[in-house]
Amino acid sequence: MIIKRLLLSVLALAMVGNLHAQGIAGGHVTGNVQLEGQMSHADTTIGAGEVPERLLMNARADILYTNGDFSAGLRFEAYQNPLLGFDAQYTGQGIANYFVAYKTQRLAVTAGTFYEQFGSGMILRAYEDRYLGIDNALLGVNLMFRPIEGVTVKALAGKQRYYWQWGDGLVRGADAEIDLNSLIRPMSDSKLHVVLGAGFVSKYENDESIPSAADPEYRLNLPLNVGAGAVRMDMNYGHWSLQTEYARKGQDPSVMNGYIYRPGEALMLNLTYSKRGFSAGLQAKHVDNMSFKSSRNQSGEMLYINYIPAINKQHTYATLTMYPYATQVIGENGLQGEVMYRFKKGTALGGKYGTDIKVNGSMIYGLDTTQVGGAGTEGYTADWLALGEKYYTEASLEIDKKLNKKLHLTATYAYQVFNPVVEGHAPDLYHNHIVVGDLSWRINKKNALHIKAEWMGSDSHYDPAEGHTDRRAGDWLMGFVEWTIGTHWFISASDQYAYNDGVGNYPSVAVGYSTGATRLQVGYGKQREGLLCVGGVCRQVPASNGLTFSLTTSF
Amino acid sequence: MKKILLPIIGAALMMAACDKIPEGEYTVFSGINATWSDGDGVEAIQRAYVEKYTGPTCTNCPLADETLDAAHETFGERLVVVSINHYEGQGKPFAGEPDMRTDGGTAWCKYFGINSLPSAYLNRNTSKQYTSSMGNIVTDIATAIAQQPVLGIGVSAKETNVGEISIGVDIQMAQAYTKPMTLTLALIEDSLAYKQSTPNGTDAEYVHNHMLRDVLTDFWGVDVQGVGAAGEKRHASFGTYSVKDENIKLENCHIVAFVSDKASKQVLNVAQCGIE
Repeated sequence: MIIKRLLLSVLALAMVGNLHAQGIAGGHVTGNVQLEGQMSHADTTIGAGEVPERLLMNARADILYTNGDFSAGLRFEAYQNPLLGFDAQYTGQGIANYFVAYKTQRLAVTAGTFYEQFGSGMILRAYEDRYLGIDNALLGVNLMFRPIEGVTVKALAGKQRYYWQWGDGLVRGADAEIDLNSLIRPMSDSKLHVVLGAGFVSKYENDESIPSAADPEYRLNLPLNVGAGAVRMDMNYGHWSLQTEYARKGQDPSVMNGYIYRPGEALMLNLTYSKRGFSAGLQAKHVDNMSFKSSRNQSGEMLYINYIPAINKQHTYATLTMYPYATQVIGENGLQGEVMYRFKKGTALGGKYGTDIKVNGSMIYGLDTTQVGGAGTEGYTADWLALGEKYYTEASLEIDKKLNKKLHLTATYAYQVFNPVVEGHAPDLYHNHIVVGDLSWRINKKNALHIKAEWMGSDSHYDPAEGHTDRRAGDWLMGFVEWTIGTHWFISASDQYAYNDGVGNYPSVAVGYSTGATRLQVGYGKQREGLLCVGGVCRQVPASNGLTFSLTTSF
Repeated sequence: MKKILLPIIGAALMMAACDKIPEGEYTVFSGINATWSDGDGVEAIQRAYVEKYTGPTCTNCPLADETLDAAHETFGERLVVVSINHYEGQGKPFAGEPDMRTDGGTAWCKYFGINSLPSAYLNRNTSKQYTSSMGNIVTDIATAIAQQPVLGIGVSAKETNVGEISIGVDIQMAQAYTKPMTLTLALIEDSLAYKQSTPNGTDAEYVHNHMLRDVLTDFWGVDVQGVGAAGEKRHASFGTYSVKDENIKLENCHIVAFVSDKASKQVLNVAQCGIE
């Protein structure tokens, strides 16, 4: 609270000076503002409910003051009330984020709220994603120290943000990273570049009474301190690159794993070869019981200490993201491979401008487990390499070609197999064929057209009479046209239509204006319910029908 | 080298911040459970609950005893004291002396972060901790028992067979209280003579009173069911409790029953009784 007051005073003084640039003693104040609004009304055809408030709004303003090595910042957030799909616990407004920091090449200290990541995040990733409504910021102290060239040490302690409160659990962590090429003089000129790292994170929670599943007269003997450690190595040699990280977590009975005592572990491997015109990558992942939260009783996406990276291809097209895969932190085995080849200019397949082809394949399975009990037991046993239930597979081919000076075409075909069990539904397998055509046409210096046409054929079907609830089911067509006028305006129209074995017609229009760092967009139309996912982390978005608007600016 | 070593040592220390529960100890006995039924009611008298943390090698702990013994003289049955033997440090017994540490007491010590002795809380209000001679705890007890009670509580206990106790608790709401509450039962013993450090040296036959011998329910109590509105009355019948330590003399024991706010752990009211 003292930090918050001090910070507010400093920022107020700085802004009294000059909001746009020079503040106190030569410092700078910068910031950005974002406002998103939504009006929606009931629409039984798409399952949209009534919004009693009529108007929903998410708004935020980040303000940063920097003066040499010193910086201070805060973020004001307002959810009056939160947009559809955001947790109602966000309702309210106030200073959500505030910090003071001192940073030099050798030392960085942050007091207040901060974000941090160790390695790939498998034991610690405090991050924020405003579109997912996730903010796992830590409130405490974060320290970075470089005692000698090539060695970086981090240490932190704090509590995690939980909507407008701070979680009860304490999070403590330390991480060290050694760049061998900087540390060891004979390696400084080596083509082989090696970075080693290791980290450890511990959380503390108070004891509480959680009954044993086997006998209600017994309670769980809870570990109050739960630790997770990881070792990692990054290697680069010529065109080759290898990143690997192994993490292990101690006993952590929680609602996420059914209060079992089995330790967790995860392994990530990422091997890539890349040179001009060609690249290939192979990723492998094994995750077993790696949900790591600062509250053992919290489900949902808040209070995660760690983050398990996604291994499947991350798409942006509407039909390709209709069945997004959410990372299964409780357990999964995955493999992904991707090859990109560029046919050179002047060749038969390359044409005048060259042609890029990407082939991607991924498959993700559950663990092959044998149950040994419920809450208060080891839970299950699992073989390392044995595959369990199929969760997701995908194969895709993408061709990217500049047709002439004005036309650019991207064509994609993908085949997906999706198991809704990963979303908590009954296990089944949906098989989807998807074709996307994406054409950009630069008409002249002031006008451009962006056209997308998508088709998805799926063996899923939607029939409310049979108790189906998944409105994504069926075969879909999707079209999108965006006209950019000059440097300021754009107009777009789109529609998603389930023409077979499903229901739903989701037309929408939008218009936008941008000038400098300010952008205003207004849209009207129907929004399909579904999952919005970023990096394997997802948020359920309900259906809506109405007006949306957004304003962003920075200074 | 020192620059590298220090962070490594720091990291190693952090590694210690990881508890490992041995296989076979994943669950612990959670105590006796209650069966709830409509009650006959009980007069609402506000009493004060003092949870005092002590240890045999704690030299100043007898100073706390003096203060609380005097308070007992003043407040009589309106004051209920439970003495909890800390689980480590000065809580460890002298060689060959009885070990008064309990699982429930250890859980409470850890939860409330007790790391110096003597320490005490009044009604588990953790915003004010009493140490050494207990400061102005007597004044605060007087203030606490002058408050309008949220509820009335009464407890009765009977030895049905040798070493087996059956317990009943009555609760009557004096005011509306909508937040979840828990009911905790503890067994305390008086007149225990064993070695104790004192400011004047070691007393081999120091008499300890109100010593916690066991938490009968779950350490954090059982959920209070069916009350909330003013005037509501409930009776909790507990299953048979079997005394675990044969050295416990039931004639010197009391059953302490207290109702607390489930989230904050603050005690709303307390009662104690002898064992018939």
